[in-house]
Amino acid sequence: MAERPPLLSIRNLKVSFDTPQGVIEAVRGVNFDVGQERLGIVGESGSGKSQTGRAILDLTGHRSRVTADKMEFDGIDLRNASRRTMRAIRGDRISMIMQDPRYSLNPVMTVGQQIAEAYLVHTSASRSEARERTLEMLYRVRIREPEKVYRLYPHEVSGGMGQRIMIAMMLIPDPDLIIADEPTSALDVTIQLQVLAILDDMVRERGMGLIFISHDLSLVASFCDRVVVMYGGQIMETLDADKLAEAEHPYTQALMSCLPKLDGGEEDLAVMKRDPAWMDIKAQMI
Amino acid sequence: MIRIDDLTVTFGTGKHAVEAVRGVSLQIAEGESFGLVGESGSGKSTVLRAISGLTKTWTGQMQVGGEILGQKRSPEFYRQVQMVFQDPYGSLHPRHTVNDILKEPLIIHRLDDKEHRILKALEEVGLGPSFRFRYPHQLSGGQRQRIAIARALILEPRIVLLDEPTSALDVSVQAEILNLLKRLRHEHGLTYIMVSHDLAVVGHLCERIAVMSRGLFVEEMSRENLRNGITKEGYTRQLLVASKGYDREAVDSFVDY
Repeated sequence: MAERPPLLSIRNLKVSFDTPQGVIEAVRGVNFDVGQERLGIVGESGSGKSQTGRAILDLTGHRSRVTADKMEFDGIDLRNASRRTMRAIRGDRISMIMQDPRYSLNPVMTVGQQIAEAYLVHTSASRSEARERTLEMLYRVRIREPEKVYRLYPHEVSGGMGQRIMIAMMLIPDPDLIIADEPTSALDVTIQLQVLAILDDMVRERGMGLIFISHDLSLVASFCDRVVVMYGGQIMETLDADKLAEAEHPYTQALMSCLPKLDGGEEDLAVMKRDPAWMDIKAQMI
Repeated sequence: MIRIDDLTVTFGTGKHAVEAVRGVSLQIAEGESFGLVGESGSGKSTVLRAISGLTKTWTGQMQVGGEILGQKRSPEFYRQVQMVFQDPYGSLHPRHTVNDILKEPLIIHRLDDKEHRILKALEEVGLGPSFRFRYPHQLSGGQRQRIAIARALILEPRIVLLDEPTSALDVSVQAEILNLLKRLRHEHGLTYIMVSHDLAVVGHLCERIAVMSRGLFVEEMSRENLRNGITKEGYTRQLLVASKGYDREAVDSFVDY
């Protein structure tokens, strides 16, 4: 990955929210690069992992303030991008998969129409072409009867199928980078892995970049190439996924050790002792 | 302590009837911790809700602590059997203080010495008296789940039904709650039935584990067999493989059950 410039490069990203109780700093100086790889962002609730993902697409809402020294996607400076430029990037070049398909799909449109719409918006294809592509895409995300599913409404499909539909919709414009925010957390484990396998294959075949945001450390460790560990709006460490067991940062170690293991003993689980020093603003190396 | 024979739970009537649990039998001894695992829709929570009396449309025989359960149960049953729910955000009344929440079961069961019992319950779940007059929105998720556990324990029950008690919590908080549940069980000699989709969590807290799928018991196994991956049924084996994390090749071998 070293020879190519990264797809997305972020330096000193900060996200804060103005609330009646004062300013909340959700992300406090985050640096990372993403290439054509699977990058995991792991953290507990409130670590800033989701806001980091949203800030890339300018989806943090009107009450937020986003600043960065650098936020560059394929040569485009995302910091000063106009709304028009952002609209052209969103969905077409960078797309986002959310956690729960029940809230992310339009309940009054059939599944097929929604996917076709995503294609029509980003290409100059005709309706019949869009329909063809949609059926092909549904088939690729392993939906057995695409013709039938095309006509279903979101409430008529299961959670696992809904998430595959979301993935089909996000992949149909052929983006360069996908941001997946807890894409499988609402699913059963076997279905979760099946959905990840689809995402995995697509990323490999098309050479896409994937940012996989999750609270599930063991899943990220087994699925991603590299992992960013976040706490209190900052990155504690960035490491190769297969080196998680040898993590150096005490926070990462604590996260690993407080998980019950399938082959573990009956002794009490390790309890995390939070070091206030983890919250100190630190200069972070890439 | 708990004996269930041929429990069937049906939702809906006529052609819309769905059997969520189909002929489940189990026996749990006093002081034992029994786990029910399965994927969504397997009927694991429904078994718990039928035992607790929250679901009325069941058939079969259930006996808890010597009492044969009918539709109507004695106040004593409701004191002895308590439940902790999954979502600590939904299971506590947002406009009741911790004090109100803990006092309500005491009022219902006409127990005296409320002040002392409330303080003791708070202490047992690791929260000090300073939490007594807080509202749920002033508590973190883990603290809320501790309050829900305190509310269950304040009646000094013998059986606690745990429905995914840690799945809405961060892993570091989950570890604290699991440790707490384990300690309380040993201190009070409680009998647990715990429902979870997470095999590792169930394996940590329970000695005996039943795997459910589509309303049926697929198999029952000991904690040792779970740890060593000794299973009789393909469904369980697949669940075990899937619980170990992502493996591209393993995914291709998955079959639908």
